[in-house]
Amino acid sequence: MGIGDVLPGGGVSKQDGGMFGAGSPTFLTTKIDWVINWGRRNSLWPMPFGTACCAIEMMASAASNYDLARFGMERMSFSPRQADVLICAGRVPYKLAPVLRRIWDQMPQPKWCVSMGACASSGGVFDVYSMVQGIDTIVPVDVYVPGCPPRPEGLIYGLMMIQEKIRQESLSRHFEHRAEDPNSVARPHANAEEVSGLTGPFGSSTHQDQLSTGLVVDTGDGLADDLGQGDD
Amino acid sequence: MTDHPPNELDVVSDGALPSDVDESGAVASSLREATHPSVLGLMGEFPSAVEAQTVSARDQAVVWIQASKSLEMLRWLKDDAGQLYDMLSDVTGVDYGDGRTIEVIYQLFSTKHKRPLRVRCKLPLDKLEIDSVVVLWKSADWLEREVYDLFGVTFVGHPDLRRILMPDDYEEGHPLRKDFPLRGRFSRAEQTRRALLQDVERFYQASDLQVGGRPQEVATPESTTLHGEDPS
Repeated sequence: MGIGDVLPGGGVSKQDGGMFGAGSPTFLTTKIDWVINWGRRNSLWPMPFGTACCAIEMMASAASNYDLARFGMERMSFSPRQADVLICAGRVPYKLAPVLRRIWDQMPQPKWCVSMGACASSGGVFDVYSMVQGIDTIVPVDVYVPGCPPRPEGLIYGLMMIQEKIRQESLSRHFEHRAEDPNSVARPHANAEEVSGLTGPFGSSTHQDQLSTGLVVDTGDGLADDLGQGDD
Repeated sequence: MTDHPPNELDVVSDGALPSDVDESGAVASSLREATHPSVLGLMGEFPSAVEAQTVSARDQAVVWIQASKSLEMLRWLKDDAGQLYDMLSDVTGVDYGDGRTIEVIYQLFSTKHKRPLRVRCKLPLDKLEIDSVVVLWKSADWLEREVYDLFGVTFVGHPDLRRILMPDDYEEGHPLRKDFPLRGRFSRAEQTRRALLQDVERFYQASDLQVGGRPQEVATPESTTLHGEDPS
């Protein structure tokens, strides 16, 4: 049984060689959505944004043992211009936040984002002054991979979830799926309430002067006065 | 201050800190017990400016000197034929909290005589100033910037005293001071907003951004297009 037997048989040519040899169809029909999504999901090029130990696992995923190339992630694209998936692997300090946002803005549509590991997804144990509390405050995230760090299987599973997400997209709803506000370039992805809500009553076990509610504590060096809302 | 049940952290902040006891605790009677040749040399050369000495971690000689004479004494340590401390391994700071002095610590090594020396200067909180030693050791440049960034100590005579780890426009204070709240002074939303407003290329010369000897066009938020189309 050749592949011609399972493909739509309308164009079967008995005399000439078809697409797959004699007797196979000379054309096949499919949905353009299916073809485009098939192409997209099997040629995802990741943009590796590795900042910490998660990046080691990401590199292991790309190496021969786990071999991301099996899934069409043929090469890591170190230029955002040729990348489809941003893999943020590791903690992101506030000083690096504009860099991450710039890379995301430079990636062409369609694009997806994987937040790999606890630090990228939520700040992890780094509930401190210098660390972004989850990159979804900076860029929109499609898949969160939990773990500290996640094993390569975890990252591959996350990337396969991206593939599954692509399978369900439709060109007719492209602008809905891929909508992006031009004004959002270099802006936070989450609004102020969402960001402040991230570090609510839970958080670090050490003694806090501030519960991250926007409250500014006067520590006697005049900074609180400058902000005009000294309290507590 | 937030009410919270007492824990072991409070006990530490009430009394002497372990690191305090290690070096400062053994200070009082030990000046006459000094055996380290450089400490003895300092006591002979600057009899009134050596405040204390001890030996820490078995064989690490530590000497406290007056901050106002630090440049003169460190220059002597570097240039005197019997000392020749030609290598400055580290400049760090310590804030012991509770209004105690902040100390600036110089870790020296003499490759000629093959011996290390730790020099410490106490700075009162209302006058966090000390002479820069960049004129003596080039390695002090970034190290002093780090101490300035994280503790707020001003190094008089430093050629380029600005932040090095925190963003250049960081306005929340000096993070390693004991009175600095763990999560910073601003709300998370404000921190995120400020982070994304950073102009990351502002502090680079065009020559810093060269790749392969060719000047790169510097991308700005305005020139970064949403869908990755290169305007050229």
